[in-house]
Amino acid sequence: MAEVPASPGGGSHESGEQSPRGSSSSNVREQDRYLPIANISRIMKKALPANGKIAKDAKETVQECVSEFISFITSEASEKCQREKRKTINGDDLLWAMATLGFEDYVEPLRIYLNKFREMEGDSKGPAKAGDGSAKKDGVQTASENQIGYQGSFTQGMGYTQAQTQGQHVMLPMHGTE
Amino acid sequence: MRQAGTFSGILSGGISGRTGPHSLPLARIKKIMKRSGEDVKMISGEAPIVFSKACELFIEDLTMRSWSVTLKGKRRRTLHKDDVVEAITATDIFDFLVDMVVADSTASWSEEGGGANEGMIMKT
Repeated sequence: MAEVPASPGGGSHESGEQSPRGSSSSNVREQDRYLPIANISRIMKKALPANGKIAKDAKETVQECVSEFISFITSEASEKCQREKRKTINGDDLLWAMATLGFEDYVEPLRIYLNKFREMEGDSKGPAKAGDGSAKKDGVQTASENQIGYQGSFTQGMGYTQAQTQGQHVMLPMHGTE
Repeated sequence: MRQAGTFSGILSGGISGRTGPHSLPLARIKKIMKRSGEDVKMISGEAPIVFSKACELFIEDLTMRSWSVTLKGKRRRTLHKDDVVEAITATDIFDFLVDMVVADSTASWSEEGGGANEGMIMKT
């Protein structure tokens, strides 16, 4: 684990964060780098038969892999945003990145998940805030937005899926370059 | 802006009953996202939510592939790190993880003096 210590705070955008991340990996608080191992362990257990056991080193490895997965997808989505001169990474960017990087199987369940979330968000905003007239309007608006988002990203996702199923997995140096 | 309670209902069966609506903490996910690059500055509220589910799919995926390695080779009932490593090297979409896990494993293997799996790991 020989990481070059970067200057503290250099390249950090987490203003208000106390830990100077990037200054020697061992000093970075684990909670900044990984998801909680208890949550990871719970999800792993769900994927195994009841009598299956998981060694601690396997949990820790998966824990590291998950952070790497988040970074991998985020970097790809971030590049897309830069190309398109947008500042904010949104959910569709992540779905696009996953399709591009070979995780197209995840895209459909995620889109369903995301749409459910958007629906719920629309539902809870509409009636709670407004009276009859505008509530209706809100509802319609949200619904059509959802559809556009859905169709747009669906075709987009399909396109990339087809175009990039082959030979797109050579992006290893990602973490080495940072 | 977003309240956890607003959509916990739809997810109640789906993820975990214990940690609230999401199986993984959104704030932590956001932190890890921000660590992935200098140009990652703004993240929509939706993004960590997508990741909370995506990470779950990823963990399940990786775990199931690792488990089939566990069952195949050694007739064990315990999933070990080398099963995870083997699953990663055998799966194209996990190529981005190879450097990380192989670097880890070769270090520990050379300590143990066991290089039996090394040939397998190195093939790509």
